[in-house]
Amino acid sequence: MAEKNKARLTKVLDYLKYDDPFSKGVSFCPGCGLELLLRFIPRVLGNDIIITGTPSCSAPVLLGQNKQSWHTLSYFGTLMTGAAANATGLVRYYKKAGIDNTVVCFNGDGTANDIGFGNLSGAAERNEPFIYICYDNEGYMNTGIQKSGTTPYGATTTTTPYGTVHKGKNLRRMNLGVKMAMNKIPYTATATLSDLEDLAKKLLKAKKAKERGFCFLHVFAPCPTGWGANPADTIEICRQAVKTNYFPLWEAENGKIRMTKTVKKPKPVSNYTKLMKKFNHMTEADLEILQEDVEYETCLLGGLSVLEAECQLPVSAQD
Amino acid sequence: MNTTAISSNIQVITGNAAAAIAAKLARPDVVAAYPITPQTEVIEQISSFHASGDMDCELITVEGENSAMNAVMAASLAGGRVFTASSSWGLVFMYDAVLATAGARAPVVMVNVNRETPGIIAVSSGQQDMISTRDAGWIFLIAENCQEIMDLVLQSYRLAEDYDIQLPVMVHYDGFFLSYLSEGVEIPAQETVDQFLSVLESQPKRTMLRPGEKLGVGTHGILGGYMELRHKHVTAMERSKAKFDAIDQEFADIFSRSYGGQLEEYLTEDADMVLVGSGSMCGTIKSVIDEQREKGIRIGLVKIRMYRPFPHQALVKALKGKKAIGVVDRSLAFGFDGGPIYTELKAFETKLGGAKLVSFIDGIANTDITKTNVKQMIQMTADLADGKDVPEVTWVSYPKANKDKGEK
Amino acid sequence: MSSNQYFNHEGPWSEATDSLMCTDTGDWRSKRPVVDKEKCIFCGFCAIYCPIQVMEMTADSCFEPDLDFCKGCGICAKECPKGAITMVSEGEFVS
Repeated sequence: MAEKNKARLTKVLDYLKYDDPFSKGVSFCPGCGLELLLRFIPRVLGNDIIITGTPSCSAPVLLGQNKQSWHTLSYFGTLMTGAAANATGLVRYYKKAGIDNTVVCFNGDGTANDIGFGNLSGAAERNEPFIYICYDNEGYMNTGIQKSGTTPYGATTTTTPYGTVHKGKNLRRMNLGVKMAMNKIPYTATATLSDLEDLAKKLLKAKKAKERGFCFLHVFAPCPTGWGANPADTIEICRQAVKTNYFPLWEAENGKIRMTKTVKKPKPVSNYTKLMKKFNHMTEADLEILQEDVEYETCLLGGLSVLEAECQLPVSAQD
Repeated sequence: MNTTAISSNIQVITGNAAAAIAAKLARPDVVAAYPITPQTEVIEQISSFHASGDMDCELITVEGENSAMNAVMAASLAGGRVFTASSSWGLVFMYDAVLATAGARAPVVMVNVNRETPGIIAVSSGQQDMISTRDAGWIFLIAENCQEIMDLVLQSYRLAEDYDIQLPVMVHYDGFFLSYLSEGVEIPAQETVDQFLSVLESQPKRTMLRPGEKLGVGTHGILGGYMELRHKHVTAMERSKAKFDAIDQEFADIFSRSYGGQLEEYLTEDADMVLVGSGSMCGTIKSVIDEQREKGIRIGLVKIRMYRPFPHQALVKALKGKKAIGVVDRSLAFGFDGGPIYTELKAFETKLGGAKLVSFIDGIANTDITKTNVKQMIQMTADLADGKDVPEVTWVSYPKANKDKGEK
Repeated sequence: MSSNQYFNHEGPWSEATDSLMCTDTGDWRSKRPVVDKEKCIFCGFCAIYCPIQVMEMTADSCFEPDLDFCKGCGICAKECPKGAITMVSEGEFVS
């Protein structure tokens, strides 16, 4: 066998400086994007983070059972309604007591965009020094695939099923990342699992930026079970989400948006939607509505990044 | 020992100010709160102490009560001393976190300024908010006047953070009647309060959430584990009764003020009849009792200071052998003939040595429990003692309710 | 204080000082990844994308799954740029 060139080894491995604190056998579905993300974060940020999590797919592993735990991280199992407020309480006490900390408030889109948005917004306003990570699987997966505010137009869930009158979600998804960037917090970024080096860099940037205040990471994390996708396609789904501009990758320091990956020739959104069953029923016309939505959001993002570059950031929004 | 004579001062302040000053004296690490009538002055005062540097705490001006409770719960579990304040709808808006705080055994101290919480938007006094949250697993204490608000907040820290207890404590006081009432309050010196609270430092450290310690909180209790946690909670609540009595004694040694722990008994020893009440109404009841006593009527008062856990042992001890007991409630219990405290006391009727019980509903929706009303209650309780026919429940300030009942 | 059987602390605290909880997720698998060592160029994509992080580096510069926990999702096979990983039915390995 020929000697293999170690130089080919992916750079992503260089970012995995710490051990995986999780038990090898945890009950996520095969191909779960959340599992990859959850193991990745402490390998990049370190095992001394405190992770907080809510009732969700991540709950069975974030929270222990009786005296036993699924991982070696310090954690706090919180309520969905108050996730960011719980993290606030922790960092404020640590500040008072002079204890160095990296608190990662790790929640799904249901908590971040819907039921826990009020306190997420409050934490952003007060510029609380912790990292909020939203893993976005576009719905309430743990309770059995219900619609959330980030479920896209047309998608079927158990509360937006395909029927003779109503065919999937008849509303557009909310753009959580942009909503948060507009608060001019020190750091906002989107990321996904197909581009792990980008994700690792953003995690490290957030860890640094949280010294100046609130950081928000919006991570696109497919749910093969809930979306009706082949578990093997999880990474490919992420890749196509980026290539079609369905989920653009960008970051914003103090709200100044900058694309971290520019898609020169975006592919049609059908390249993405065809990878899962939740869009199966959509006609060409339905897909055109989703396509328009994607193009509108991309255009807006581009416009915002140009405007932000032109406008002088007010002193109140600077560090 | 009496250190107060040399180092305390008396100021005319509101109940809300008393709560805020007490919180300042307890030196909390983290305070989180959201304004609501009639509690707002508490956080205004604390914000002012914080702004002037008189209070060295992390002040979190949250965007809602739910976040206030979540923030102080987390700060408490991280190891901090915390304080928050709310009222009625605010208490209800934080209710999921109120339950989680108790379940996590976080020694949070808060004041709740009692206000009506029915379906009708009502900016008026009443204890329905307290009653609606009574089995959240918190220790509930009730203050009668501004001085007692001050003293109960200080006592609460000793109770909540005691290593043998580790439970959240809510101090209740009547909105409007006490929140905005100004009266003379003896404000203890900081050193005296520090001395009173220093006992906690000599105790073992409770479990705290710290980075890198491989320790998590908010874990699932599974089957037996869940029951173990619930049973521990119940037994800690039970322990808190005697602990509260002991803390009140120790408080008396240092501050020269004593209230009697779980209950305050006012002229009950030789009484034939007793009214059972709580909160600000007790001042009025006491003054009417003084007048009635001059006429030779042997009436006394049992003031409930600790409402959760329900102090049934102390109540039975204080009330056993009396001829008649009138229980005054400022809230409702649906489906029961009588108010909530009356209904709960009734569960121990067989232990009261034949004492007869009667329920009075009064003081809801800001109605005054006037001296006339109290006289009526005493008269009806006396009638009951004499074997006369007295309705089981009387809405004292709303005779129509009693008429409707009769017609039915 | 009360007796502790299921919890070591007064409240709902769990600890990771002893062994972690673990599920035999390897039992879930219907297909297993088989790595062709000749085709493997040692890029590590299979390792970074594996949700369970069970692709382990071997001494001869290759990657092998920990079959005790591999759930058989097939991401490694899909993401391998050289097609060096094949998902083979578990039935093939029944002796």
